[in-house]
Amino acid sequence: MKIKLPVIPLMLAALITLTACGGSADDKNTLTVMGKKTDLNKSYMTTLFERYESTTGNKLKIIAYDDTDFEISAQKDFESGNAPDIFMHFNNADLNRFDVENNFYLLNNEPWVDELTDSADAYCRDSDGDLLGLPFWENSVSGCYYNKTIMDSLGLKPATTQAEFDGLCQVLKDTGYTPICWPANGCSWMMQFGLDPVFADNPELLEKLNKNEITYAEIPEVRAMVQWVSDAAEKGWFGPNYIGIGWNEISPEMSSGNAVMTFIWDTWFYTDMESSNTYTVDDFAVMPVFMNTADKGTYEGGNLNMMMLNKNSKKLEEAKQFLAFCASEENYNAAFDGISTVKCFDGQTTNIQSKMVTDAKASIEENERVSTASSRIVGYSGDDVTAAFEEMFRKKTDVDGCIKMMDQYRIEEAKKQGAEGF
Amino acid sequence: MKKWFVKTLPLFIMCLVAVAAILIGSTYFDFISKRIYEDSTGHLEEIYGQLNHTFGNFAERNWGLLKGCGSYFEIADNAPEETVSNYIENEKKYWGFSRFYFISDDRICMSSDGSEESIDLEDSWDILFNENEPVMAGAALSDRQDIIVFAVPTEHGEYNGFGYDALAVSYTNEALASSLRVDAFSGKGKCFVIHGDGKVLLSTQSSDNVFDNYLVYLRSASDIDPDDMNKLLSDCRSGSSGILQCKIGGVDQCILYQPVGIRDYILLSVVPQSIISAGFLSVQKITINVLILIFMLIGISVLALMIMRSHRLSHKNKMELQYRERMFDVLSNSVDDIFIMMDSENHNVDYISPNIERLTGIPIKTASEDIRVLEKCAVISNSSVTKADLEAIPMQGSRSWECEYIHQTTGERRWYMMTIYHMSIQDVKKYIVVLSDRTYDRQLNLKLQEALNAARSANEAKSNFLSNMSHDIRTPMNAIVGFSVLLDKEAENPDKVREYTRKITASSHHLLSLINDVLDMSKIESGKTSLNLDRFSLPELLEELNIILMPQAKAKKQEFKMHIQGAPPEQMIGDKLRLNQIFINLLSNAIKYTPDSGKIEFTVCELPLDTPQYTKLRFVVSDNGIGMSKEFQKHIFASFSREISSVTNKIQGTGLGMAITKSLVDLMGGIIDVKSSPGEGSTFTVELSFALPEAEETDMWFRHRIKRILVADDEEVVCLGIKELMRDTGIEVECVSDGEAAIEAAVEAHNSGNSFNVILLDWKMPKTDGVEAARIIRSRLGTDIPILVLTSYDWGDIEDEARHAGINAFMPKPFFVSTFWQTIKPLFFENTEAKICSVSPQESVMSGMHFLVAEDNELNAEILTEMLAMEGASCELAVNGLEAVSMFQNSKPGYYDMILMDVQMPAMNGYEATGRIRACSHPEAKTIPIVAMTANTFAEDVRNALDSGMNGHLAKPIDMNAVRNTVAHLMEDKNKTADNEGGEDN
Repeated sequence: MKIKLPVIPLMLAALITLTACGGSADDKNTLTVMGKKTDLNKSYMTTLFERYESTTGNKLKIIAYDDTDFEISAQKDFESGNAPDIFMHFNNADLNRFDVENNFYLLNNEPWVDELTDSADAYCRDSDGDLLGLPFWENSVSGCYYNKTIMDSLGLKPATTQAEFDGLCQVLKDTGYTPICWPANGCSWMMQFGLDPVFADNPELLEKLNKNEITYAEIPEVRAMVQWVSDAAEKGWFGPNYIGIGWNEISPEMSSGNAVMTFIWDTWFYTDMESSNTYTVDDFAVMPVFMNTADKGTYEGGNLNMMMLNKNSKKLEEAKQFLAFCASEENYNAAFDGISTVKCFDGQTTNIQSKMVTDAKASIEENERVSTASSRIVGYSGDDVTAAFEEMFRKKTDVDGCIKMMDQYRIEEAKKQGAEGF
Repeated sequence: MKKWFVKTLPLFIMCLVAVAAILIGSTYFDFISKRIYEDSTGHLEEIYGQLNHTFGNFAERNWGLLKGCGSYFEIADNAPEETVSNYIENEKKYWGFSRFYFISDDRICMSSDGSEESIDLEDSWDILFNENEPVMAGAALSDRQDIIVFAVPTEHGEYNGFGYDALAVSYTNEALASSLRVDAFSGKGKCFVIHGDGKVLLSTQSSDNVFDNYLVYLRSASDIDPDDMNKLLSDCRSGSSGILQCKIGGVDQCILYQPVGIRDYILLSVVPQSIISAGFLSVQKITINVLILIFMLIGISVLALMIMRSHRLSHKNKMELQYRERMFDVLSNSVDDIFIMMDSENHNVDYISPNIERLTGIPIKTASEDIRVLEKCAVISNSSVTKADLEAIPMQGSRSWECEYIHQTTGERRWYMMTIYHMSIQDVKKYIVVLSDRTYDRQLNLKLQEALNAARSANEAKSNFLSNMSHDIRTPMNAIVGFSVLLDKEAENPDKVREYTRKITASSHHLLSLINDVLDMSKIESGKTSLNLDRFSLPELLEELNIILMPQAKAKKQEFKMHIQGAPPEQMIGDKLRLNQIFINLLSNAIKYTPDSGKIEFTVCELPLDTPQYTKLRFVVSDNGIGMSKEFQKHIFASFSREISSVTNKIQGTGLGMAITKSLVDLMGGIIDVKSSPGEGSTFTVELSFALPEAEETDMWFRHRIKRILVADDEEVVCLGIKELMRDTGIEVECVSDGEAAIEAAVEAHNSGNSFNVILLDWKMPKTDGVEAARIIRSRLGTDIPILVLTSYDWGDIEDEARHAGINAFMPKPFFVSTFWQTIKPLFFENTEAKICSVSPQESVMSGMHFLVAEDNELNAEILTEMLAMEGASCELAVNGLEAVSMFQNSKPGYYDMILMDVQMPAMNGYEATGRIRACSHPEAKTIPIVAMTANTFAEDVRNALDSGMNGHLAKPIDMNAVRNTVAHLMEDKNKTADNEGGEDN
C-alpha cells in the first residue's frame, strides 16, 4: 500500500459516477465491477473501462464504495449473494474476509499469465502459489533513494552492504548532511521496508505470526531492525527534527538537499516532489533499503490492485474475457500511456519508467521483495507500527517496549478482524 | 602606600609564580608534543610503510599466483575441466579471492564457473594486453558490487571452450581488507588504496567502502586549504608521499600518503590526531595529573593550614565571642538594663540579654521570636515605640522614651527608660535598644514624694494642732488670767469673788480636761497606751456614769435614761477606767450637743455569742440633739474634729474626745459606729467583747431569808426587767404600777403573813410617788421591811425627805442584781443604817488626819497643805523621796495616817521611795497607805504606782473630791485590816 495523498484530490475532481451507466445496461452484456471509489476513478481505470465498453459493446456496472465503507460493504455483498463479477482488491490481509477459496477463481492457467513481470506475478499469488488476480495498477519500486549529485560531490558511492550503509550515514552526518529523511510523524511505510525481508525470506515466520504462534518479540530480526532504527535516530542519522517530519516535509527535505537519502518509491518523485527546488528527480538514484534485516538491503515491489473473478458468477466466462481484454498489450499500453509506473506487463511500453529504477535494475532484480509486511501480516497496521515507533522516538519506551506495542496493536487488530488463532 | 604594597605583595608573587608555571608548562608541553608527534607520525609512516609493502607483496603474490596458474593451465592443457576447477578452488581457499576469471583479448571475462561477466578494467586493458604487464584495477559488477582485480597476461589458452589471453582473480573489498588484516590504531584509522586521481580501489574497512573518490571527499568535507589540497592532488598524481593535518567532520585528522609502488596507486591513511597524539596526550595527561596532584597536595596542605589557622582564629574568635557573650550575659544579669539588638529592616532580633525574663517576665525565646511582645506588656497600649519613631532616629543617633510595663509573671508595674540607638554594624543597619529599669528610682521617688507629702501633712497637722491647741488652751487660760486679774481687783466683793472663782475653776477644769485629752491622744497615737484589765461591775460602771452625767443633763433639763435590755452579766473583765472614758465622752457629747429639754438615752444589751467565757455587749448612746452632717461623720473620729456651726461654736471642746474614744474602742478590739442627721440627733453604737470571771455563789439570798420583793414602777419595762434579772436568784418579784398599788400590796402581804422582804419603789410615779408611798407603808407596817427608792435622778435633793419618810436606801436605775444585793446587804447584815451614799462633801473623812506629803514643787506643796488644812487635816512636807523615806523611818508608829507621794522628784522618785518605805523596818511600813499624787495620769502610771507598793493614785491637779473618796476607802480598808489583825490577836 502506498500513500499518495496529493493524487487523490486530483482524481476525485475527475470523478464520474459510473454506476449510472452500469445501471441502465443490459444485464446479459453487463459485467459488475466492484471496488473502492478512489481506485475505480483512477484515470487508467476509467480509460480501460471506456475502452472496453467502446471496443466490445459490453457494459460495465461499476459498484464503487467509499473508501471507509468498502471492506464492510463489499463483505456484506459477498455474504448476501450480491457479489460482483469482477472484484478489485489488494492482495493483503483484508482479502481474507472475502473467503478467497470459495469466492474467487484461480487464474493460474489464463493465457496472459506469462505477460506479467516477475514481481507483479509474485505479488498476485497466494501462499499456495495460485494466481488470484490480474494486476492492473500503477507499479513502483520502493528503495533508498539518494541524492546522487551530493554523493558524487562528496566522492561517495551507494552502499552495497549494511556495514557500508551505516558507514555512509556516518560520513554524511560528519559532513553536515542529514543522512536519512525519516518522516517519523505519521508516515507508516518506513518500517514495512525493513520487515519485508524478515517475512519474505522466512515464510514460516509469517505463517507462525499469522497463527499467533509467535510474536515480533520472539523474532530476532525484528528486534535487530527496531534496534537499528533506534540507534540511527540516536546517532543523528535522521537529523535533529525527524520526529516532526511528516509526509509534507519529505519533499522540501529532499529537494533542498538537506537530507541525502530517504526510503520512498520512485513514483513519488513524479507525483509529490516539488520541482522548483535545488534538486530534481534527475539528481536522484536508488539503492536498497538497509534496516539491518538484509545485509545487501531490500527493495519493495509495488502493492498492486488486482482484478479477481467471482468464481460463482454466471458471467465467469465473460469476466475472463474482460481480464484478457485488460491483459492485452494494446489495451494496457493504452491505459497506462504516460503514467509513471514500473511495468506490470513485460510488453508495457507506454508508461514512464524512471531512470532511477532503470539504472538500478540489476540491484533491484537481485534484492527486490514482494511487499509482505503490510499485506501479509494479519492485523498489521502501518499506523499502529508508526505509533509504537513514535513512542520510542519520544523516549516514552525503549526498543523492547516498542516491539511489545507493535505486537499488542497487531494482535488487537487481528482479534477485531476475527482472525483465526487470535 | 606601603601598607597597600605589603598587602598585595603575596598576591603579586602568586601571580608571578602562576605565570612562570604556565610558561614553563606550555614550553614543556610544546616540546613534548612535538617530540611525541614526530615519534607518532614516524610510527605511523612505519606502520603504513609496512602495510604498503604488504599490499605490494600481496599484489605481486597474486600476480605470481596467476602466472603460476597460467603455467599450470599450459602444462595441464586438455586436462579435465574438473581438475582445473579443483585447482582453482584450492587456490581460492588459500588466497581468499572471490572469483577466478579467464579473459580474452577482446576483454570478455568468463568466471571459472563458466558464466560471463562484464568487467571493465578501463585503462588497465591496454596495460594488460598491449604492454603485457600485470595489472591491478578496480571494477564494478553489474549489481554494483565493487571488486579489485589482479590480472596477468598469459599465453593464449582455452578453458572450457573459452579462449583466454589473460587470467585474473577478483577480491571483494571486504575479502581483500581481511586478507591484508590492516587494523592499525585499534581500527580507528582509515586506510585506502586510491588511484592517482583519488578513486578508491580499496578500503581497508568495509564501513569505509562508501568512498568513490577520496580526494573528492577530502576536498568537500575537510578543511584542507586549497594550496595543501593542490599539493595533495599533485603528490597523488605524481606518486609522491607526504603528510598533512586537517579537520574532517569536525575531527582533527592526520593524512599520510605514500605510493604503493604499483602504477600510480597511493596508499592513503587517515588517522585521528587524537590517536597519534594519544601518547602525548597520555604523557600530558599523566604530567598534568601529576602536576595537578602536586598542586592539589600543596593546595590541600595550604588549605589545611589555612583552615587550621582559620579554625584556630575562628575558635579563638568564637571563644572570645563566647567569653564576651557570657560576660555580657553575667553583666546584663547583674544589672537591670535589658539589651536588645535587632535588624532595622525587618526588626528581627539578633540578641536579647537574658535578664529580660527576670525584669519583664517575658521568656527570652518569646521575645526573640517577636520583639513586639513588649507592646503587649505596656501599661498604656498605645504608648509603645512605633515604626515611625524608629525610622525617625538618625543613623548614629539615639532617642529615649519612658515606658511602663507590667511584669508578666508578678503583675507588678515596672518603669523603664528605653533608649534606642540607630547604627550600622558592618554595613548592616541595626537598632540597639537599652531598656533601663527605673522601677527602684521611680518607687524611691514615689516614696520620697509620699514622705514629703506625709511630712507636709504632718507639718500641716502639727500647725493645725498647734493652732487648735493654741486656740483651745488660750481660751480657758484667757479666762483664768482675766478672772484672776478681776479677782484681784474685786477681792473685797464676796459675790464677785465667788463668781470669778467659779469661772476660774470652770476654766481650769476645762483646761485640765484639754490637757488630759491631749496627753491621752498623744499616748494613744504613740502606741504607748495599754489596757488595765481587771474584774469590774457593769452596774458600778453605769452607776458611776449616771453619777457623773446626770448632773450635767439635769443642768440642761434634759431627760437622761439608762436601759438594760435582756440580762447582761454584771461582772466581767475589762478596763473600767477606759470604759468610763469612752462612755463619758459619748454621753457628755450627747448632753453637750443636745439642746435643753432634750433626751439622751444610754442602752446596754447583750449580743449573742457562742463562746461561754465571753460576752459581747452593745452600748447605744442616742440623743435628739443637733446631729451631724454626713460629711462630718466621715471624719468625726479624727483629731480636732468639730463641726463648725453656729451652735457648736458656742460649745467648748478639745476636738479630741471622739478620736480618743475611737482609739480606745479600737484598742479594746471593738467597733464604734455613728448614725446621725442634722437636726434629728445622733446615735453612737459601741460593741465590745469582755471575758467573764468565774461564777459567784447565788444562794446568798436564801441564806438571808429574802424570798419575796415588791417592785412599784409606772414603767412596765422596768418591772419586767427586774423580774427577768431576778429570775436566777429564785426570789419572787411582784410588780405594781403605782404607789397606791404598792401600799395595798405591801399591806395585804403583811396582813396575810407573807410580807415582802424588800420593797422597791420608783421615785416618780403618778398619783402617789415613791417617797409618799414609803411614808404610808411605814406608817402602816412599821420599819421592819427595807424600802428602797429606784430613781434615775440625783436623789440628793430628796434624800433628807426620803429618809424622813422611811426610805432605807436609794437604788439607781437601771436595776442590777448586784447593786440590789450590795444595797440591801448592809441592811440585813449590819442592821444599821445604810451608808451607801457617796461621801458627803460636807463631811471630811480626813479631818484630824496627819499626812506625810512628799512634794518637790513648793507651790503644789503649798496648795496641798492649804487644801488639807481646809479638810481639817495636817501634813509634813518632804522635798523628795529620800527625805520622805527618812521622815517616815524616823516617825513613831501612828504618827502619820497616810503618805501622799509625788512620783517625779529629785534625789529619789516616788516609786523608789515607796519601795524603800515598804522595805524598811518601820512597824507600819507595810500598812501605811501611800497614795501617788502625780501628774503622771495614765493607766500604766496607775499600775506602776500600785506595783511599786502604793495603795492608790491621785492625779494632779488635785481634785479634793477624789482625795476624799480615796482617803475614805483606804482608811476604811486600813481600819478593817486593823480590826482583822486585832480580832486575830484576840
